[in-house]
Amino acid sequence: METTIKSSKNYMKVSDIIDSLTINPSPDAVAVLEEIGTNSSIDEIREMTALALVKRNEPASLSVVISHRGKGINDMSTVVAMSTINCLLSLEDKQEAMSVLERTISGEEFEEEVRENARAVKALMALS
Amino acid sequence: MSTIEKVSQLSHRIFNTTLNEKNVRRSSNPFANFQKNVLNADVLELSSKKDAGVVGNISQSTKRIYSTFVGSINDFGRRFYEGIESIKEFGHRMKEGMVAAWNKVCEIGNTEIHLGEGIKNGYNAVKEALAVDMGKLFKSREKEIARMAKLDPHTEVKPMLVDSLKALEEEIAVAA
Repeated sequence: METTIKSSKNYMKVSDIIDSLTINPSPDAVAVLEEIGTNSSIDEIREMTALALVKRNEPASLSVVISHRGKGINDMSTVVAMSTINCLLSLEDKQEAMSVLERTISGEEFEEEVRENARAVKALMALS
Repeated sequence: MSTIEKVSQLSHRIFNTTLNEKNVRRSSNPFANFQKNVLNADVLELSSKKDAGVVGNISQSTKRIYSTFVGSINDFGRRFYEGIESIKEFGHRMKEGMVAAWNKVCEIGNTEIHLGEGIKNGYNAVKEALAVDMGKLFKSREKEIARMAKLDPHTEVKPMLVDSLKALEEEIAVAA
């Protein structure tokens, strides 16, 4: 099933669009990724979008995958969450990610579940 | 004939061997020397009137028949020799055939190796062709991504993404 999806022409088109939004210098690209990609019903698309947001390595894009409930590391899909965490751990420059994590942990406006996940990820990134 | 004369003739035959040698040289028949007994004349030619009693009654036609018989014996020998030669030839051909068959087997074995190499070469050729095509494909995709990266995300990229996602979801729904 997964192989069938990834070999389809439409999947390749979506992948190309998300890749283009990854390198698009406009800040609006993050909004499009958040609005369309992270709300997709397809796990693979959500995973791809989360990785694109992490690769952008900007406060706005990292905030989406770290601080928002049901997206990125807080996704209901374990595959999407673990894939996002793995991508965060593999960042060469982790400074922006650590800043977002600290803000999320210390932010009173975020749910306890989101803060707990951010704390765990921060511990992993400190060890890595 | 007295005893002295007989002894004289005997001594003449013993000590005068040139006469016998002459007789041998005169013999033209190859069968003249038969088991080391020298024959003085052809087999069917009478050397003296004394022997005429044995074959004296043989007519010329019978001689011809016997000659033909002897000739046929010679011919039989030649045929026998030729037969042996043909058997040898047959054996030689068999041997050559076996060698050729063995060489053919070896050739088939080598051909299989060549076949394997051919398949390998074909696979490599296909692989290279696919690599070239995949390279072109990746380059074309990279160009397309770079082109879309310059577009406005909200007005241009977002509609494309929405349409593509919708098509993908429909495709998945149909596949399921």
